[in-house]
Amino acid sequence: MSHPLEITNLVKRFGGLVATNDLSFHVEQGQSVGLIGPNGAGKTTVFAQIMGEHRQTSGTIKLYGKDIGNKTTPERIRLGVSRTYQVPRPFSDMTVLENIRVGQMSSSIWKMITTRPNHEREEEIAHSVGFAEADLHKTPGELSMGDLRKLEMARTIATGTSVMLLDEVFAGLTVAEIAQIATLIQKMRSDGMTFLIVSHDLKALEPLVDSLVAINYGSKIAEGSFAEVMGNASVRESYLGVV
Amino acid sequence: MTGIRWYHLALWIAFVAIMFVMPQLVSKGTLRIIIMANFLAIFAISWDVLSGRTGYISFGHPFLIGIGAYTSAILTKRFDVPLEVAMPIAVLMTMIGGIIVFLPALRIKGSYFALVTLAFMELIYQLVQVIRPDLTGGTRGMSGIKTITRGAVSNYYLSASLLIAIAFSMWLLMKTQLGIALSAIGMNEESVRGSGLSTTKLKLFAFLTSAFVAGIGGAFYVHYLGSIAPRALFDINFLFTIIVAALIGGASTIIGPIIGAFFLTFLLEFLRPYLPGAERYFIYGMVALLLYMYQPKGLIALMHTGWNKLTGAR
Amino acid sequence: MMQIVIQGLLLSGLYALIAMGFTLIFSVGRVLNLAYGAYLLIGGYVYFTVSQTFGVPKPIGLLIAATVGCAVGLLKYRFLVKPLKGDHVAVEISTLILAVVLQAGVVFLYGDSSKILLPIVPGVIQVAGASVTYNLLAATIASWAILIGLYIIVRKTHIGRAMQAVSMDNKGAAISGVDPDKINMFTWGLSGTLGAIAGVFFASYTQLHPAMWVAPLIIAVAVVIVGGIGSIIGTLIVAHIIGFMEIISVALIAPELRGVFTMILIIAVLLIRPQGLFGREELQ
Ligand SMILES: Nc1ncnc2c1ncn2[C@@H]1O[C@H](COP(=O)(O)OP(=O)(O)OP(=O)(O)O)[C@@H](O)[C@H]1O
Ligand SMILES: [Mg+2]
Repeated sequence: MSHPLEITNLVKRFGGLVATNDLSFHVEQGQSVGLIGPNGAGKTTVFAQIMGEHRQTSGTIKLYGKDIGNKTTPERIRLGVSRTYQVPRPFSDMTVLENIRVGQMSSSIWKMITTRPNHEREEEIAHSVGFAEADLHKTPGELSMGDLRKLEMARTIATGTSVMLLDEVFAGLTVAEIAQIATLIQKMRSDGMTFLIVSHDLKALEPLVDSLVAINYGSKIAEGSFAEVMGNASVRESYLGVV
Repeated sequence: MTGIRWYHLALWIAFVAIMFVMPQLVSKGTLRIIIMANFLAIFAISWDVLSGRTGYISFGHPFLIGIGAYTSAILTKRFDVPLEVAMPIAVLMTMIGGIIVFLPALRIKGSYFALVTLAFMELIYQLVQVIRPDLTGGTRGMSGIKTITRGAVSNYYLSASLLIAIAFSMWLLMKTQLGIALSAIGMNEESVRGSGLSTTKLKLFAFLTSAFVAGIGGAFYVHYLGSIAPRALFDINFLFTIIVAALIGGASTIIGPIIGAFFLTFLLEFLRPYLPGAERYFIYGMVALLLYMYQPKGLIALMHTGWNKLTGAR
Repeated sequence: MMQIVIQGLLLSGLYALIAMGFTLIFSVGRVLNLAYGAYLLIGGYVYFTVSQTFGVPKPIGLLIAATVGCAVGLLKYRFLVKPLKGDHVAVEISTLILAVVLQAGVVFLYGDSSKILLPIVPGVIQVAGASVTYNLLAATIASWAILIGLYIIVRKTHIGRAMQAVSMDNKGAAISGVDPDKINMFTWGLSGTLGAIAGVFFASYTQLHPAMWVAPLIIAVAVVIVGGIGSIIGTLIVAHIIGFMEIISVALIAPELRGVFTMILIIAVLLIRPQGLFGREELQ
């Protein structure tokens, strides 16, 4: 069986800067992998390449064994991979439900015109990420940072994704919000979702991942279980700043 | 962006009813003014479907309207093509024009896009005058163009039916999920792509729809006026009136551009006795500017707050 | 041939001057000022009133026109652009409305018909078989002087460096102790001044007319887009490309087509190289 996500010899150059350097790793079905590294290590850039927002300079990205290197972002999303953004990017004049609706829509214009929105499914997704009934008709301006991250996740879930990339889901959240989102991720893991998670909050990340990939300056410096990677000398040096 | 409610339909019925009895209520002169308002409303709706929704500000809308108007005028006047053939061809040509305006939107956004559309308008203004003036009538334009019907009342009913048909079908269309998707582009195009929707397809659809409406409006407009001149059509004042009608009425709605168009047309007429010439635009523009600065969401938002205050709702 | 070269050089100088104030705002303020053409309108009419109607000496007339242009720029920033807080669409729309209002104001005060502005410097000189009016020559010299001055200001002075900083990054500039608000103020004032001066020369080259702001706006837009936002050198080079294209099409192809090539150039460059031929977004 092919892996949900497989990256091989990925390279991305921005002019002289090598943001991704010959990076290879894969995520197995139903697994959750953490992608860690210091600021500017190139984590977000890897996400951007998986989603086709940036074209890789060389290397391949496979989704369920299929090379998606020359597909557009919307095409990749329809194949089952989707991401959240480090800085949430909601639709500012729409309610929570309408934001989710955009994620849920069919990409065919004809279907957009002829089918009615599936309100039950929208509400189900909203509730599943922890929105209260009272929040459903709020606009992003009225939401907290935690709520905005939940909205990002909800819109991603609404696309019907089976491989979810989460970029810094815990940044700027309260302890209670972190717990809430962690519970959500756990639940989705048990439902069979495949995850690739970027986070600086290692304590929150630990229970959520099966393994870790650590990168620095775009190159992989360690890979393995959480304990193995944390014990790795170059990870401790580059990432944690301790020798 | 809610669903369709009973009071929406009630408002539509009221609107149609008022438009229907209008000729009994007002003078022929006023009727002629309303005809202009009807056309302006159609143009403003066309602008709003594209720019009000997707945020791609078109400063070149007269370009599209002009293609529709000129095509139909040239076909009927120079080649004796019957109206019922010439007008659909004109709409088709305008949609091709819409694709031309769409191409830059694949690469550029924001101010740059607005500028390129402004350049389109200036380009066609100059081209119309120099290329085949035997067809276009050059700088002086054309007159004696076939009209569809005669008399204020029948022209009124024609333009009002056209407006109602366009407004209602656009309203229905924008009430679907498509309307939400187009508005989403205006709020954050990247996130629309990130939600799995092809913004290229959506934008192309918006441009084609906008051009379709502009083409119909332009063709009927020229066969109402019976004449056409490049400076009256490819003109910043004309562009300004279209955009301002949509904006001060309330962008991203259908009723907004209609309200805006009527407000502007009557404001202009109201000023006529005091300021007969182009200086009317001074007051007119000031009112538009102040309104826009005070409430960018337009008259419709002002009415909403007023209504809510009145009824004591939130 | 010589005629084309000389006419081309002169017209291009004028165009560079017109475009300069526009590029300043686009790169420092990051907004499209569609009312830019109105500075030229105001400059032309103020100069006309002061020196032709009231007979004030021409240099003083030019000074007053420049001052009024500066004031209008400052007012525009304070009451239009700043309240809209970087909402680009709103700034574009409201400056477009303002331009229409100002045009109507001119119609109100001066009427609809065009007026002839007497040459600022009268007389004609023959250069290599081409007749050159002192007026256009003066405009070209003035515009070169202003452009060189501007280049020195932006590159060498403190305030110029602050402008560069703001054009790169508002927040970053604020952190390093530059007040973006003050710099924006200064830029809008400067842009208004340049526009008004350009307006006086432009009006004396063509004529005074309430709708005279559209053509220079398009030229400014063309130069800035083709040259690349914020590049003073790029502005200068492209002003020459456009100036020469116009002169050549008038002399050799067809006078009516003089603007057509400019439009086609704008559209082509925006499609092929949206950042412009020399473009960076920052002022440099
Ligand atoms: N569009 C771009 N153009 C040029 N350089 C870029 C671009 N995007 C990212 N970079 C550079 O690539 C490197 C990796 O950036 P990236 O955002 O992927 O890091 P990151 O690991 O996500 O960091 P953080 O933890 O701060 O989010 C950085 O040096 C960044 O400056
Ligand atoms: Mg990152």
